[in-house]
Amino acid sequence: MNEPRKSGITRRQFARRAALLSASASIAPAASVFAGPLLTPPAQEAAAAHPNLSAESQAEAEARYQQILSQYGGRFSAEEKGSLREMNLVTQSSLDKVRAYSLENGDAPALYLKPLVEREKKPVQPPAAAPAKKS
Amino acid sequence: MLGEQILYLSVGELAKKIQSKQISPVELTESYLARSEALGPKLNAYARLTPDLALEQAHAAEKDIQRGHYRGPLHGIPFAAKDLLAVKGVPTTWGAKPFADQVFDYNATVIEHLHNVGAILLGKAAMIELAGGMGYAYASASLQGEAKNPWDTKCWTCGSSSGSGAIVAAGLAGFAIGTETWGSIVCPSAFCGVSGFRPTYGRVSRRGAMALSYSMDKIGPLARSAEDCTNIFAAIAGHDPLDRSTLPVDKAAFTYSPAADLKGRSLRIGWLTNAWKKYDPGIGKIVDAAKIALRHHFPSVRDAALPEGPWEDAATLILSGEAGSAFSQLIRSGRVKDLNDPVGRLGGYVSQSVSGADYTTALRIRDILQKKMTEMFDSYDVLATASLPVAATPLNLNLVTGLSFPDPLGGIGNLCGLPALSVPCGFTDKNLPVGLQFVGRAGDDAAVLQAGRIFQQTTTWHKKHPRIS
Repeated sequence: MNEPRKSGITRRQFARRAALLSASASIAPAASVFAGPLLTPPAQEAAAAHPNLSAESQAEAEARYQQILSQYGGRFSAEEKGSLREMNLVTQSSLDKVRAYSLENGDAPALYLKPLVEREKKPVQPPAAAPAKKS
Repeated sequence: MLGEQILYLSVGELAKKIQSKQISPVELTESYLARSEALGPKLNAYARLTPDLALEQAHAAEKDIQRGHYRGPLHGIPFAAKDLLAVKGVPTTWGAKPFADQVFDYNATVIEHLHNVGAILLGKAAMIELAGGMGYAYASASLQGEAKNPWDTKCWTCGSSSGSGAIVAAGLAGFAIGTETWGSIVCPSAFCGVSGFRPTYGRVSRRGAMALSYSMDKIGPLARSAEDCTNIFAAIAGHDPLDRSTLPVDKAAFTYSPAADLKGRSLRIGWLTNAWKKYDPGIGKIVDAAKIALRHHFPSVRDAALPEGPWEDAATLILSGEAGSAFSQLIRSGRVKDLNDPVGRLGGYVSQSVSGADYTTALRIRDILQKKMTEMFDSYDVLATASLPVAATPLNLNLVTGLSFPDPLGGIGNLCGLPALSVPCGFTDKNLPVGLQFVGRAGDDAAVLQAGRIFQQTTTWHKKHPRIS
């Protein structure tokens, strides 16, 4: 466990690491670093870098990428588009793992509404003093 | 001006000198300000100093103490606050260019709490833009540029509480406030050789703090010892009617009682065997030594293993979904292009593509994990392992390739809102600090702090500080 191991990084390992890093917001790049290489290949090549993703998952990632392009496509350079495509593939890995986890219908989310029952009622204004009657 | 031997004292030690009037809050503040002005820019540690406000608060503290109105261990102690905490009338940039001119007209609750106990705000600590909420690949993902590690200025402090780590390690303030969504207190504490505490989710109000992940953001101290963290936590913890995520009054408040806490409980420590897959060269032997030291204090140290599951993935999706919403305006407006980091300019678009169904599925997995961890803490009071399997990394490292590894404890701890403490436990051959991490049951912050304080009773790693020219 404590044995240090260092090695070069292959493209496949890179994709794996990027997926993990997407989790490790922490460690560094918080919040889904979604960090793919900035020079990213076209769709088929990008998908080939994620052999663990099924064809369906790769198609879904591509669809999400296309959705982003349809909404914001004019904002990105060719290089950025490549990175976005890669990021979607990385995210797909997390989506697949979460979806594969066995859940029962009764397994509720760890998020609950807090009704505003404790909210203070608007204080009642004391009635204004009646104007003195003119005699 | 006071020298390093004073400026590197712990909050507890400074407090004794202030209470006994051996040093004055004004003198201490002026000395930290001078040191911060001289060294802060070299480390990119501050977003900005607030000297006028600091001196005003210092004079007020001094007057109070001279009149006999001593408010406790933080009275007259200068600190820095991460630049995502609102301070009335002072720019609060969130470390990001699109918010460079942002000014709030109120104080964050944490700032108010610290003001009420007499602490003195020296300035706003630099940070990773949006606390890394859009992702980042480089240490330079900050309005102030890369934060340099006081132990080796060619290395990074880690993020996102990057300036907070640098400030405490360099002796620029008595302590600093940071925040963590996933690793942003633990990692800078480990890289910078300081003690950093991540409280249980909901114990410290986030009113006035930038939101990145509504269900995962926490606020906590970085300081020179676990004892200091305990004191600071006691000052900032508590229910806040203006932050609905805070725990009820009786669950949120934290009372510090030095002697009782150390003798009160015999902690059962679980030494994690599956927190890290491998250590960088030189880290493993330091961590092994820390384990031996722990056994000296806690004879009941036993090996323990984290449950297996897609916890990190669930945490990632929750964080992404919430960040995609928190920064929706920034993303939709296109102003996200003004962020420094090439990944940060794009990550938000991907975050927003996480569906509601997938987000909710991740929340359901979180509930299952919470139950598993609650069961685990029936056998252990505190889990322990290395804070990180690496020491501080080079400033120009691509973090995607160079600082990327599974972090199940970080994922689990932050997904479940568990308290964690990182304390220094040694140094590498390159004289870079290594951290030891304690994690406890939700709400049992006291156990985590107790473990750290006991560890530091017989170790001196936390008393070492870097030589800075």
